[in-house]
Amino acid sequence: MPDDHRWAQLHLSHYVDGELSPRGRRRLERHARDCPDCGRAIRAMRALVYAIQGLGGPAGVRAPATIFDRVRLAGGARSGPPERV
Amino acid sequence: MIRPLAGQRAGDQQDNEARLIARAKAGDAAAFERLSGAYADRLFMLLLRLLGDRGEAEDVAQEVMLRAWRAIGSFKSRSSYFTWLYRIAVNEANRALERRARRPASVPIGPDTLQLPAASSDEPANRAENRELRAALVRALDELPPDLRIAVVLRDVEGLSTQDAADVVGVSQAAFKSRLHQARLRVRAAVGDAALAGSGA
Repeated sequence: MPDDHRWAQLHLSHYVDGELSPRGRRRLERHARDCPDCGRAIRAMRALVYAIQGLGGPAGVRAPATIFDRVRLAGGARSGPPERV
Repeated sequence: MIRPLAGQRAGDQQDNEARLIARAKAGDAAAFERLSGAYADRLFMLLLRLLGDRGEAEDVAQEVMLRAWRAIGSFKSRSSYFTWLYRIAVNEANRALERRARRPASVPIGPDTLQLPAASSDEPANRAENRELRAALVRALDELPPDLRIAVVLRDVEGLSTQDAADVVGVSQAAFKSRLHQARLRVRAAVGDAALAGSGA
């Protein structure tokens, strides 16, 4: 059904993220069984989210020690020199 | 010695955070630093992911902390402090990206900002593929408009819930989901299904 197809294509992310209602999930799965395009799209979306989640970032990145420099300048005017934490 | 239950520890942390918020609101800069310092590494990583440039991320991180310090008086404990701080960071990152877009030569996301070395358990044969896929993903994310890039970074890279991510961005959950979906579709189109098929998902 064209309506189901359009709806499924719009809700692939919701499905992959587990954020569809049980009824919505059944609707999408019923459609995807007979629609190779949507079946492929679900697999691709799952693989994509998995790959992006695996990107992470450079290990052990720490905030620079200067991160509070501007607060210290401003804070000094409000409440005296801040103690270091 | 009896170890406190996890829930109790979380409760203690919340109490502690509430006390620090109250002191920071009263003008105690040291309390503000302790409060915000707990999130500094994560916040800096977020900015690095969104901006891709260490120097710029450092500059924006300082600005985020200054803005948070100036606005702490208006913080309402309806939202979590972390979400509130992230919202300021996303706004500041957006402003930095807009400034960058106005400059004639834009600086792309650096190739090293989003990449992690492949996990050591990866098979060597998969590693090269993973490296290529990672590079393609980083390029694709780099090419997204800022609002779409922010959606993917908050939800998929940072792992925020849809509700928290929507709160950070300041849109409804429905609007956020739609934005995230658009972003993923664009990344899928840029990377290609063939590359994704080998990603091991």
